[in-house]
Amino acid sequence: MDIEKLIAETFRAHEHEAPDGDAVLAAARERVDRRRFVRSRPLLVAAAAAVLTVVAVVVVGADRSVRQADQTAARGSEAAAPQVVQDLKMPFSLGWLPQGSAAYSLERMAAVPAPEDPSLPLFGGEYQLTVTTGGQKLYVGVQELKMSPPEGAVFKSGPGRAVTVAGRRGVESANPGGEHGYELYLAHPDRGSLYVHVSGNVAPARLVEVGRRIAENVRFPGSATVTPTFGLHDLPPDRRICGFGVQPPSDHVPKPITEYNLGTCTDARDIVVQTRFEQPLGTAGRLVLGRATREVSVDGYHTLWVLDAVDDTSIAIAGHVPMTELYDIADRLVLPS
Amino acid sequence: MGDYEDFVRGQLPRLLRYATMLTGEREQAADLVQDVLVKLYGRWRRISDLDYRERYVLRMVTNGYLSWRRSTAARLVAVGEVPDEVRGDDFASEHAAREDMWQRLAGLPRRQRTVLVLRYYEQFDDAEIAELLGCARATVRAHAHRALTTLRNGLAVERMAEVRES
Repeated sequence: MDIEKLIAETFRAHEHEAPDGDAVLAAARERVDRRRFVRSRPLLVAAAAAVLTVVAVVVVGADRSVRQADQTAARGSEAAAPQVVQDLKMPFSLGWLPQGSAAYSLERMAAVPAPEDPSLPLFGGEYQLTVTTGGQKLYVGVQELKMSPPEGAVFKSGPGRAVTVAGRRGVESANPGGEHGYELYLAHPDRGSLYVHVSGNVAPARLVEVGRRIAENVRFPGSATVTPTFGLHDLPPDRRICGFGVQPPSDHVPKPITEYNLGTCTDARDIVVQTRFEQPLGTAGRLVLGRATREVSVDGYHTLWVLDAVDDTSIAIAGHVPMTELYDIADRLVLPS
Repeated sequence: MGDYEDFVRGQLPRLLRYATMLTGEREQAADLVQDVLVKLYGRWRRISDLDYRERYVLRMVTNGYLSWRRSTAARLVAVGEVPDEVRGDDFASEHAAREDMWQRLAGLPRRQRTVLVLRYYEQFDDAEIAELLGCARATVRAHAHRALTTLRNGLAVERMAEVRES
């Protein structure tokens, strides 16, 4: 008998047992989709850095700490005041950046629970920024990947090679001169990897130097904070901020985006609260903080729109929870005066 | 991230079929692919412009399966000599033969089963399988050889038992 033919036929005969794609996609969405940002590829987003006001910073030294300490001190009085938009603490800080003008295009923290142990988040903090010096631009991305050890690294630029940076094992791209630049996966002090990506119109050796040095100087937990466009206060006992993101305007994003993910942080069912630009449909709801609202419900997924909440931009509060819970969250919004 | 959605929707049917072949179970396949989609979202910024992103995601599913924590089914232990030839028409029907083979495939070690799925379902050649698994072609051939030997031996043992009973 032809056993290889039988194996092939056996596989084909069971194709129909594949699960329903819509159901799988919907389940995955519950875990990640509602924390989506309207973002483009990082290298393009970085081009809009000039318009940043929240996170732009000028770095004048070649080896110095970055903004966190100053920012924290400057905002200390704000943090103490109630009903004021609170800064958000990032899971780690960038302790060094190359000389030049640094503009952040994305700062976020996402605690997606791991399937095997929901108490262990899969991701963590992430920064995307551009450092400009004269005609040179360096595009930098730094991200915690708690689910991926360095050994599991896959590079855009081809095979990786083992490296030790600051006494920690890692894997870096062996071909930093390619279009994808330099990548480094360094063992995270907690678990998984710290991923550093540097590209730009500089010599490959410079990319490597910058990437390694950024990785060396990342501080856990650090003191970096970001400033959202709106906040939340006095959340219910069963809700806390599991993730957040701040994104400035760009060619693809007309106004700043702020997003929160609220939940227990140990399961995937959460509520997303985010600035949205589209005009909502739905039915009119009750006033929230003096703003008109719209209610939309699709297959048990409810969205409450608070219109013109932040600089003529709406805030959408959504989740697989009753509309009353969304109103409860809406009443806890802290909007800029 | 609209391109993420588009990409996922385009790839999902294939990924789910592939995961079903690997795990042998609908629910496990769904869980496996769901996990991959979550991870893919976190990495999308870095892989969205890759030329080989389809292969990248296939590798994610493969690695997810190989590192799956759930216990595997009891493995088939093959013993006895291999007859010169075992005729397929000795089975009651082709359907029964395929179901029997499906159960035997479920008993293979994961890496061996993965190689068979890639070779006989995805129609990859050994070089492609080696690249996907991150191993040498010789290793792929070794896995395939062991898997086929186990399956042949198992069929042979059963065939001999049937002959004795008759």
